[in-house]
Amino acid sequence: MLRQVSVVGRYNRLILTLLLTAIFVWSLFSIHWNSDLFHAGGIPTMLQIVEGLIRPDLSTEVLMKGLEAAWITLAYAVAGMSLAVIYALIVGILASGTLTTNRVSRLISKVFFRGILGFTRSIHELIWAWLFVAAVGLSPYAAIFALAIPYGGILGRIFADMLNDVAQEPITALKSTGASKLQILFYGYLPLIWADMISYTMYRFECAIRSSAIMSFIGLGGLGYQIQLSLADLNYDQVWSYVYFLIALVLLVDIWSNFVRKGLTEQKRRKGFSTGWRSSLFALLLIICSWVFITVSEHANLFELLSDKNIQYAKKFFGGLIGVNEKHPAFLDGGSWSAALKLTLETLEMSLIAIGFATIAAFLTVIPAARNIANGSLTSSKRWYSWVLYGFVRLTYIFSRSVPELVWAMMIIFIFKPGILPGAIALALHNFGILGKLWAEVIEDMDPRPIRNLASAGASNIQIFFYGILPTVMPRFLTYILYRWEVIMRTTIVVGFVGAGGLGMEFKLAMSYFQYTEITLLLLCYMILVVIADFASESTRKAVK
Amino acid sequence: MTSRTMIEAKNISKYFEGKIALSSLSFSIQQGEMVALIGPSGAGKTTLLNSIAGIIPFQNGELLIDSRSISSYKKGKVFAKKVGVIRQQFDLIGSIAVIHNVLAGRLADWSLFKSLLSFLVPQEKGMALKALEKVGLSDKMYEITSTLSGGEQQRVAMARLIVQKPEVILADEPVASLDPARAEDVLEMMIKFVAEEKQTLIASLHSVEYARKYFTRIIALKNGEIQFDLPTEKVTDDLLANLYRLKEQE
Repeated sequence: MLRQVSVVGRYNRLILTLLLTAIFVWSLFSIHWNSDLFHAGGIPTMLQIVEGLIRPDLSTEVLMKGLEAAWITLAYAVAGMSLAVIYALIVGILASGTLTTNRVSRLISKVFFRGILGFTRSIHELIWAWLFVAAVGLSPYAAIFALAIPYGGILGRIFADMLNDVAQEPITALKSTGASKLQILFYGYLPLIWADMISYTMYRFECAIRSSAIMSFIGLGGLGYQIQLSLADLNYDQVWSYVYFLIALVLLVDIWSNFVRKGLTEQKRRKGFSTGWRSSLFALLLIICSWVFITVSEHANLFELLSDKNIQYAKKFFGGLIGVNEKHPAFLDGGSWSAALKLTLETLEMSLIAIGFATIAAFLTVIPAARNIANGSLTSSKRWYSWVLYGFVRLTYIFSRSVPELVWAMMIIFIFKPGILPGAIALALHNFGILGKLWAEVIEDMDPRPIRNLASAGASNIQIFFYGILPTVMPRFLTYILYRWEVIMRTTIVVGFVGAGGLGMEFKLAMSYFQYTEITLLLLCYMILVVIADFASESTRKAVK
Repeated sequence: MTSRTMIEAKNISKYFEGKIALSSLSFSIQQGEMVALIGPSGAGKTTLLNSIAGIIPFQNGELLIDSRSISSYKKGKVFAKKVGVIRQQFDLIGSIAVIHNVLAGRLADWSLFKSLLSFLVPQEKGMALKALEKVGLSDKMYEITSTLSGGEQQRVAMARLIVQKPEVILADEPVASLDPARAEDVLEMMIKFVAEEKQTLIASLHSVEYARKYFTRIIALKNGEIQFDLPTEKVTDDLLANLYRLKEQE
């Protein structure tokens, strides 16, 4: 009996890998592979786009515009994140159940507040934005809230998990000093998770920059807006200039966040707090400047947002969503459901193709991208081209992940005809860089001893990869694939906006024609997909462990 | 010396999933006593200390702390004045400065506002400084706690206890993870301040040598029962050999 279990246990990773591959191959059959996929002028356009990539427009006018747009993008990201952190802290602490006294109230607060966090993060920021704009019209607050709500949901959930995972000994010790629940929170829980909280928030801040850029879709200025304008004018060289600005912005945030993280770990060894204080001051300054800019220059007014007129609009919009005054709401109509479910399936296939492409691309490039392979410390063999290859692949990763899916989609739609393939490619392009970076870090964190042992036993590099590296990193690789697939699932609807097929395209049409109940139906389908993806990925992750 | 009974246990029992952890223990401890709790691993030392600390409930019997039943202490703040706990070095919050870990011993008397303010402007700093002087760490007041060595962290935990000033101190293997020189250092310090403040100390120890050297009374536990409960000078080598003898040899 025991033996049998271990045999199944030994092969379940292999079986899972085969199963996932089969699912990917199945999803490929949903596309009719022929030249019809391209626009008539698709290939020449692609060449023009590539030309712009190599020779971006660097005129002073474009550079000045780029700087201004970059600041707008940054300011909105900062404003959105500052609200998200407040929301995440409050709801996250409540969702962790650390403040409750007995088991029943703990369970209730956990289920209730985790539910809120789950709901807010399951809907993509652009959908929130769209709903806000449809309800109250274009206002800077629509963009800020649209960023703050889903990001707060993600952060809050992670904060709650961190609070639940703290070591219990110091907490018990604090309790025995007679400290109250709130005192234990401030003297125990929060100091214990402080460093992790900050580094996760910094990581999310980097994502918020990209999200802020794509808020151009609801008319917010910034880098996304400039990219969109240039694309509409077919000025590909300018498109790339703004994309480079975006990459630079993401890189700067990345560098700052590395700096903060380093300061947090070093603080444990050195005395003093100076790097931490400097970063906090800088963050505070950034937050103040962003809010001042948004209120003064962008004329954001919270009270105007709550005017009678807007409340009327919002009432009408949300009433429309639930089908008030509608004789045949789409979400009660069989025909509409079957059409929507077909789109849902298409969207699912799109996400599968996307993660499949991203996985293949990352798999082919990840080995040279690991620092410990490039410098030869893992395999004790070093080639002259290792560092060149390392630099090149890492640069590709940065490039690929700095550009939001939506921006990739906007460009790709010039090459391919609308359908799920362009959407899948756009999603794959963005996620390939993220997956590659995460995987490379897994390899870098590996225990090098077994690998060196293989190398000294005379194994070739390919043999080392299959016998040493792959078995060790496989579970973490799979975890990251599943995790990214969840994220892709949420994003499929967004790439659909620009005509890349699936639910998103229909959603945008329904929005344009004010078919409110249709919107509700599509949102329902979208939520179903997100829930399925979360469930499938979580149970698969458990199976891998 | 008019002595007060600080702890009185009457037939307390505790079961973990049907297995006996404490089997009908009775003893009483007077104010100012220094009691060492010894016995082989799994004898129930930690369980007993946790029961007295109110961290885990026991099933049968009665436990009086300062002549009041332990269940009658509804408020943690009142109980914290009676009983304080020190364990191995995992009791501190590593990421905050030493002074805040020490002042955590005052949280029972502080309002939430005062305890938050203390992060910016340490409150009752003099008291913390005095406690840290007693354990010889006054120069490390503003260091991040996790940068301190294991022995130093254990002394910070003691400084917290000095500030908290409970009448009874329960120490669960307080020196288990320290090397002999540091262990003796910590024990000596603890005995000294307990005696100064006329507190009562109950410490579980795996080292019989330390128990005999520093404590006035030894309670030996085995399989959840009291094997013997004697003044230190009456504990013989025979008794100890019997206590630690493995089952097969009996």
